[in-house]
This record gives sequence, structure tokens and C-alpha cells, in this order.
Amino acid sequence: MKFGKRLKRQIEETLPEWRDKFVSYKDLKKRVRLICTTLEEEANSNGPASSGCASTRVSEEEEEFIFLLNAEIEKFNAFFMEQEEEFVIRQKELQERIQNVTATLGPNGRRMSESEYKEEMGKLRKEMVNFHGEMVLLENYSSLNYTGIAKILKKYDKRTGGLLRLPFIQKVLQQPFFTTDLLSNLIKECESTMQTVFPTEMQERTEKTVDIAAIEDSIFRNTLAALVTMREMRRGSSTYSHFSLPPLNLAEPPDQSDTFTLLSPIPIQ
Amino acid sequence: MEARSIFPSQRSEGKQLSAMNSSVGRSSSLSVLPTPAEKKYPKLPDCQQVSMEKELWANRVGQHRASIATNNGAIGHMFSTSSGFTSELHYSSSLQHQMHANSAPFFSQASNNVTSVAQALPSQSVLFQTTSPSNFTRENNDATWSDDSLFFDFSDGGGCHSQIQNSTGMASQDQSRQSDFQEWADQIMADDTLVATGWNDLLVEPDPEIKGPKLPSDFTVSQPQINQQVPALSGDSNHVASPSVTNGTQNKPRMRWTPELHECFVEAVNRLGGSEKATPKGVLKLMKVEGLTIYHVKSHLQKYRTARYRPEASEGGSDTKTSLEEISSLDLKTGIEITEALRLQMEVQKRLHEQLEIQRNLQLRIEEQGRYLQMMFEKQCKTSEKLKMPSLLDDASGASPSDITQSSKENDLGKPLAMNETDIIPEKTEDRNQQFDQKQRIVEVESSNPDQVTNVGSELPPAKRLKSSLS
Repeated sequence: MKFGKRLKRQIEETLPEWRDKFVSYKDLKKRVRLICTTLEEEANSNGPASSGCASTRVSEEEEEFIFLLNAEIEKFNAFFMEQEEEFVIRQKELQERIQNVTATLGPNGRRMSESEYKEEMGKLRKEMVNFHGEMVLLENYSSLNYTGIAKILKKYDKRTGGLLRLPFIQKVLQQPFFTTDLLSNLIKECESTMQTVFPTEMQERTEKTVDIAAIEDSIFRNTLAALVTMREMRRGSSTYSHFSLPPLNLAEPPDQSDTFTLLSPIPIQ
Repeated sequence: MEARSIFPSQRSEGKQLSAMNSSVGRSSSLSVLPTPAEKKYPKLPDCQQVSMEKELWANRVGQHRASIATNNGAIGHMFSTSSGFTSELHYSSSLQHQMHANSAPFFSQASNNVTSVAQALPSQSVLFQTTSPSNFTRENNDATWSDDSLFFDFSDGGGCHSQIQNSTGMASQDQSRQSDFQEWADQIMADDTLVATGWNDLLVEPDPEIKGPKLPSDFTVSQPQINQQVPALSGDSNHVASPSVTNGTQNKPRMRWTPELHECFVEAVNRLGGSEKATPKGVLKLMKVEGLTIYHVKSHLQKYRTARYRPEASEGGSDTKTSLEEISSLDLKTGIEITEALRLQMEVQKRLHEQLEIQRNLQLRIEEQGRYLQMMFEKQCKTSEKLKMPSLLDDASGASPSDITQSSKENDLGKPLAMNETDIIPEKTEDRNQQFDQKQRIVEVESSNPDQVTNVGSELPPAKRLKSSLS
């Protein structure tokens, strides 16, 4: 139940075009409940003689359920790969632009003035940070959906006594949306190029004069929401098992992120 | 045909090949293919090639078993992991052609590609040796291989190809085989599906992803989505994604664009005069990536144009200027503030990224442990059945009901497990025995004792530490 609520909140915070790409956790949960009730009814009404048809019913139900899950996974894969593609394109473009700017050449090929250079760098930095943020959010998307699927499978097995979870999750692990290595590489590359973009003399942390309370940048907000959600999810649950993840151990005190007030979503320009 | 005549000599060079391969790279992954190939395609022409393949294969150690098995379409991607592959695949295509004449099934061709590579390689070792391994490595990392791989038109001066031609030095020496390669390439790729470059990741990463996207045979829905990834040869072969490439009437499978593939694309576009002038057809032709359809190129080109257009517009226009001004004046001080804000944002993002990675790794390991325990469970069940120890069952009655909640998989193998592996929680055995009737519910591998984890899943010490700290 809690996961459903957290997921919902995360979806609300997320970028608008991502909203319907998340796992339909609530619907799947309902579905699981429906399956169980039909099975129970069958067993109760018909008695032991129905065991034969009940088993076929089970397999039918299971097939339908599997079909649903596959549809969800398809959805994830499609969206994920599309985003990945766009990131690949953007990364290349950003790299080119950085090369141009560091060579202090403007778009027309002429040398840029000091102010122009600063301006371009400023733009670049912002874009890079946002780009990085979006990629991380996609990673988060992948993780969240995986967790949702895993939970649904667990519920299914619990209710129906089936053995669906283990083999199915193995397949899920290999789906494109969960194999985020390419994305990780992109993120790492982005982080390393950041070094060149951000001025070195500002490495030391200066006083945070920025107004933290009113963060309007939606990517930033989403990232914070994702972190908060993640921490909460791993705080420990009633059904803790050895399949559960250990509690999140964020080095920094949670106060900092709590000070960020999350405003209403603003679409990214 | 030329290739055929090579085989007798290749036989003797088999070991040489093995040595070469082992020195070159992870050629061992090829070893997987023969087995499924043999199983699945018994009607393969019983020619020298086949028998020689078997010989050579026996010498290899399979590293990336499943990945290779699953990716007969991913031949191109295998290059990225092993330099030995690249040349091998080149040659495999030539051999393949030989086999193709026998109208072997498509899969077998693909699998034979790899298997026959070994044979082809020695014969064409001239070509192979002319190019230093470093070249291959570079090529492999380039990942243009993954898409274009061998099935190039060598005579073509396409951007992607020229790289490979120069580095491999094959262009000059391969004149005689060019037409052959082309034909074979066309044949192969007409049926085969080039796995998207996402395979690079899968191949590089060891377990569990090594298993490759073994698309479940039941789950047909997910098939088209998986980037034309060919299902494992060993199983699920009924879902060949290849038809979707050839006839193109099925729902367009997604292509997983990697940076390398994209670079190839950009080169092709630039050759054609820029993103505006380039047409999808022209780009497709120029790229010469097998498995790439015009739909892929079209959509990618569209995205590319959009991505280019926006920054160009912003550079010329004043939109970004005004937004920057809104956030801060042109004052230097506020410039610093912006940078600080960005830095802060960056920190948060980095942290999230870190945590996500950690979480993902944990999840993978948890599942792997689950799988391992499941395996053990099944093994124990079989063992216990064989042993037929009714005396063990008699002891089950005395267990306390509170342990039912643990629902551990080891419940059933409590006693047998204790007997076979005495160091595993002997005190828990009598608690578990009563769970025999609850076998069905105990599929979930929830070992209640961290010690089990230590003994059974020895590769997860950090996870165990974390868990034990909480239990």
C-alpha cells in the first residue's frame, strides 16, 4: 500500500510526459486481488470435483496476468529506449558544443568575445546539469518500475500460491529497461565532461547564497523527490524478507533535502 | 569455392587458432554456439565444416555462454568485446555462405558463422595477422562494429566502413572476397537481426546479465520490443525476431541506439550534406548497418533534427538570454550564484545516481542468490527422492508452528541439507521438516538465517552484512 502511494506521489512530481509511462501498480494490484477471489469462489462453490477445471482456470488466469505484465514491460522498454536514444543524440550535441565553446569559437566560427563566452558557458553548464538530471531520472524510472513489478509478482505468488515470481523476475532483469549500463556510461561521461565545463576556481564550496527554498527547476525537484521516495521505501517494511533491500544510507543528513520545498511541477522548457 | 578448400588446412590450424583467439580476446564465448546449433539444427549438412567446428569448439571455454547463444544476431556486438571476434566474424560470413548454399536454416547459419569462424580464421590468418590486436581493440571499442560488423561493402567508401577498412587492413587484401562477403552479409542479415548495441553492455557485464535477454518463450508480447534481440538458441527459438526485419510488416522493433551507432549515423548524415539535406534512405544506405530499417533511421533523423534545431535557435535567438537574465542579472555575483545552484543540483543528482546504482546492484544480487537457492532446493529435492529416507519425514512432526512464517525454501531440504552440508544451520533442520506439505508456498527463497546466506551465497558479503545488521 505504501509503495502505491509513494509511487503515485513520485509520478505526480515527475515530468509531465512521463506520467503515464510508469507501472500501473494500482491496476495490477487490483488484478491480483481479482484473480484470487475468482479462484476461491471456484473452489468453494464446486468443491473438490472442480479441482480439474480450477487448475485450468488458474493457468488461464496466470496467462492473462502474464500477458498484462508483458504489456507493462513493453511499455517500459519502448519508453526507456526512446529516451535513451534521445540522450545519446543530446550527449553528442553537447559534446560538440563544448568543443566549440572551449575553442572560444562562436556558432559562426568567429572568435567569441569575453561576455559571449561566459554566456555560452553558462548556457552549456545549465544544459549539462539538466541533461545529467534527466538521465538520472530515467534511471530512477527504471528502478521504480522494476520495484513495482517485483512487488506485484510477490503479491501474486502470495495470493495464489503460484511460482511465478522467480522465473519471471529473471526475465525482467534482462529487459532493456532494466539493463541501464548504457545510461550509466552516458551519465559517467557527462560527469567527467562537467569537470571541463565548471570553472575550477569554484571547486570549494562557497556560502550557499542561493535561495534554496524556492527551487523551481523541475528536474531538480524531481531528483529530490526521487531521493526522498527512495529513502522512504527502504526504511523497512512489514514484509521484510531477504529479498528486500537494506535501508538507504545517505551520508548527508536528511535535513538538507527536507528544507527543499517542492513546488508544483513546471514543465521543462 | 575458396573457403571450402581452406578447411583441410584449417583443421590442423585449429589449435593455432585457439591459441590465437585466447590471446586475442574472449573468443571463448563462441564455444556456446555449437551445442545449441547441434541440438537445434540436426539437419545441418554433414560436411567437413560441421565436424571441424565441433572439434574446435571442444577446445574452447565458454565465457559468455548465454550471450552468444542468444545473440546469433548479435554477432556484430560480439566484436566489441573481443577483438578476435571481429575477424572471426568476417570470416564466418564467408564460411556461412558456403553453408548457406546448403540451405541450412537461418539460425544455423548464424550459429555456424561463429563456429566456422575458427576455421576461417586460420586460413585467412594473413589478414588477421596483418592487423595488430590493438587495431582490433580500438575497433571494438569503437562499437561501429556492433552495427556494421562484417557485412560491409568493402568497396564502399562509407564513413563507417572506411574506419574499419583502414584499421583492419582488410580492404586491400579482401578484394577477392568482397563480393562473397557482400552476398553472405546480405543473406545473413536479411534473416538475422542485428541486436542493438545495447548488447555491448550485456556482453561486457558478467553474470547475471550474461544470460542475455532470454526472452521467455511464453511472452510473445515482449518479443518485438526487445530490439530484434534474437532469443537464446538453446531455448525460445520459436520467437525469432528476425522476420520482423525482413518483411517489415510486423510492428517495428525498437533499435537500441548506442553512441557508436549514433556516430556512424552522424557521419553518414554529414556526408549527405547535413541533417536537413539528408534523407532517411540515403543515410540508411550509407550506414550499411544490417538490421537497421528505414523506420529506425527516419525516427532517429527526426530526433536528431529536433535536437540540433533547438540549440541553434537558442544560440541565434534571445530566448535563453532572457531566461538567463531572469534567473540572474549579468552581474558576476549572480553568475556565481547560478553556478553554485547548478553545482548543488549536480550534487543531488549525483547522489541519486549513486544510490540507484547501488540499489540496482543489490537487486541483481538478491535475485541471483534467490536463483541459486532455488537451484539448490531443486537439487536437494531430487537427491532426497533418490535417497528415499522416510525416517527423515518422521521427525517432522515435532517442529514448532512458529517457523512456518519463515517460509524458507530450505524447509524441505532441512534434513537432507544438514546431512550433506553439515555446516549449514544444523539447529534449523527440525524446524523446517514440517514444511513438506507447504512445498508450493516455499518457492520464495527467503532464508531466514543470514548464516545460510554466507554459506550458500558466498558472493554477497556486503548484502549479508547489511541484512544481518537488521535482523
